[in-house]
Amino acid sequence: MTIRVESLEHTFGGDDAARHVRALDRISLDVYQGEMLCLIGPSGCGKSTLLNVIGGMFTPSSGRALIDDEPITRPMPAKIAYMFQESTLLPWATVLENVMVGLEFQGIPKPEREPRAREALATVNLQDFAAHFPDQLSGGMKQRVSLARALSLRTEILLMDEPFASLDEQTRMVFGEDLSQMLATTRKTIVFVTHSLAEAVFLADRVAVFTARPGSIKEIMSVDEPHPRGPDFMTTDRFARLRNSLYVQLRDEIRKAMREQQTSTSIA
Amino acid sequence: MRDSTVSRLIQAGFVAAVLLIWVLVTGTGLVNPIFVPHPVDVVKQLGRLIVDGSLWDDLKITLFELALAFTAAAVSGTLIGFAVSTSRWSTRVFEPLFAAFFAIPIIVFYPLTVLYFGLGPESKIVHGGMFGFFPIALNTISGFASVDRRLLQLADAMGASPKQRFVRILFPAALPIMITGYRMGFILTFLSIIGSESIASLAGLGHRIVWYAEALETPKMFAYIVIVVVLAMLLNAIVAALEVRRRGNS
Amino acid sequence: MRASRKPASLRRFFARPVVSQLAIVILAVLAWEVAARYSTDELFTSPPSAVFAAAADLFDEAGVMHAVLTTLWELGLSFLLAVGFGLAIGVGVGASGTSYRSLYPIILLAYAIPQVTVLPLFVLYFGPGPASKVAFGFSHGIFPIIVNVVAGLRTVPAGLLRSAYSMGANKQQIFRRITFPHLVPSFFTGMRLGMTATLLGVLLSELYVSSGGIGYYTELYTESFEPQNLFALTGMLALMAVFLNEVVRRAEIRHSRWR
Repeated sequence: MTIRVESLEHTFGGDDAARHVRALDRISLDVYQGEMLCLIGPSGCGKSTLLNVIGGMFTPSSGRALIDDEPITRPMPAKIAYMFQESTLLPWATVLENVMVGLEFQGIPKPEREPRAREALATVNLQDFAAHFPDQLSGGMKQRVSLARALSLRTEILLMDEPFASLDEQTRMVFGEDLSQMLATTRKTIVFVTHSLAEAVFLADRVAVFTARPGSIKEIMSVDEPHPRGPDFMTTDRFARLRNSLYVQLRDEIRKAMREQQTSTSIA
Repeated sequence: MRDSTVSRLIQAGFVAAVLLIWVLVTGTGLVNPIFVPHPVDVVKQLGRLIVDGSLWDDLKITLFELALAFTAAAVSGTLIGFAVSTSRWSTRVFEPLFAAFFAIPIIVFYPLTVLYFGLGPESKIVHGGMFGFFPIALNTISGFASVDRRLLQLADAMGASPKQRFVRILFPAALPIMITGYRMGFILTFLSIIGSESIASLAGLGHRIVWYAEALETPKMFAYIVIVVVLAMLLNAIVAALEVRRRGNS
Repeated sequence: MRASRKPASLRRFFARPVVSQLAIVILAVLAWEVAARYSTDELFTSPPSAVFAAAADLFDEAGVMHAVLTTLWELGLSFLLAVGFGLAIGVGVGASGTSYRSLYPIILLAYAIPQVTVLPLFVLYFGPGPASKVAFGFSHGIFPIIVNVVAGLRTVPAGLLRSAYSMGANKQQIFRRITFPHLVPSFFTGMRLGMTATLLGVLLSELYVSSGGIGYYTELYTESFEPQNLFALTGMLALMAVFLNEVVRRAEIRHSRWR
């Protein structure tokens, strides 16, 4: 299953000229089967918008996204699972119920839901917390439940929007290793948005660098290292060089984005 | 168009529609004018009331009761609320007591108030004061309790005296919540005075509404209802304006 | 926090607010009793002991108990009506953006009218019997319920709706699994506030009408100067109010666990 993005453009605010924001500018991109593609760029560059379009959350102003040559116009829960940045766990339901509700929405018959949910929880090592409520869990655990929910759907494609952003660095590193391990064993295709350079280099097979708003793809960098990757990868020269070249690509865009924020706050 | 403008327009439109229906219903004689007087009659009575001065006696009494009741409620509520807020223990003990008491419609105690204070303004003042006491006391307690502990720690670390601690940190932090309490207390006191005047009284706006209701002189009754509603809106607006102005100054 | 060792358990016992509250109430009652006995006119100050005795007598008086029970069922009926209609109207108004923007301002306008001014109208239209009390209680109780139901509906976290949509949920599933469970605590809060409002409406109208019901007896005891009877009757009504409030309050807490 491959994803193709063709000449994608998107403007928010539509016809209202004073308030419209051009988020994406002629993005064309292929996502290969089984790869981990990271999207990285300064704030406001549109990477989440691109992810939303691929996820079928809305239709772009022009251009399109396709999955196996079929245009994506709405969410396709059988093929694409989307893990959001903020915690989207239902606070009134248990951990197990939270995972099961995703299966229910996908249309999985009732008897299969609980076993699959438990299996997914075991994958993220939370099987003992099935009866807990979200407010009893730490931030990291909540994200693991969200991940379990996404994994339980058994989709070929997984979209992740800064899933580790709210976690502390130590937890992020451990989760990164777990994710790399998972990439080695499954053959999922993952599109992953992050702000962290180290995370991008550590996890990605390819990294797409975005320009400042309106976002377009400045450069695609390859990381040639098989999964699973361990902490020793991070100490290699290659890692440092890749991370540096990523930074060099990004820093002009980041400065541009910072300047734009200053001027836009005075207009707004 | 801004949301608040839209909603104001909708409200205005609704009021206009209601007035229109009122005129139509009374004009065509669909309803017995004893039950629903014609708006023109109401307006005429309203004019008469204002002009010949019969309004003022009752208005004066109601406002007098309101002023005294609210003053009593504000003073006692603030002092007692502050006293309670000084210790954790007293807050945890008294705040729920006040809240539970407040949940009872205080109006049930009005007959007792009449028994002891008679039908005159005294009973309305005592009753209104009792009613207004609770939101003021509760908000004073919660205002002082809501002060960010870290600010107090900061003040102590910088060597502030108790007076400075109070004037510079405690009081300004508590004030917004307290003001909300005064606002609520003011309106509730006003409404409770109208209510108690309706139940048992010799004078006052509430009493007058009942008087004309019982005499089946509905145009006059409606006129007084309009006056009370307008008065309520005015008082609300004044209090809201004071609140905004105060916030602007600080 | 626990400094001294020895009377730790005793101190902890009194540190619990409930104990102190009960102690305060008991002390207040005792003080009242003592003050009343030592004052000049026992009839005037009416010590608690006399009030309890009067209360016992009142229970035997069929007229009074009938009035109290009538008030109780008026409360129940107006509250149930307020809940039913409040929920229906609240869902209707809060369900969509358009209905919210067009209808909610009207609700707020009606809510802002001081209903006490139109109490005589209610009695004029519905008569001095239970109908006007139920109507007045209903019109008080319905507003907090509508407001809270609407608030619950309008505050469903967008993230939850988005993630459900991305997982392929249809409209019914979103309502059943997300909107409705989110709404429950707000609904119970609305009911708690609605009960307080209904109590006000029913009791206010009952006291206003002196031709029957509780209003008849309060006026009777006031004019014939029987403070112990009036205290007893007031006490009964107050206890009824406290009880009903507590029931709804506890239900609210039970259903707001995840909030």
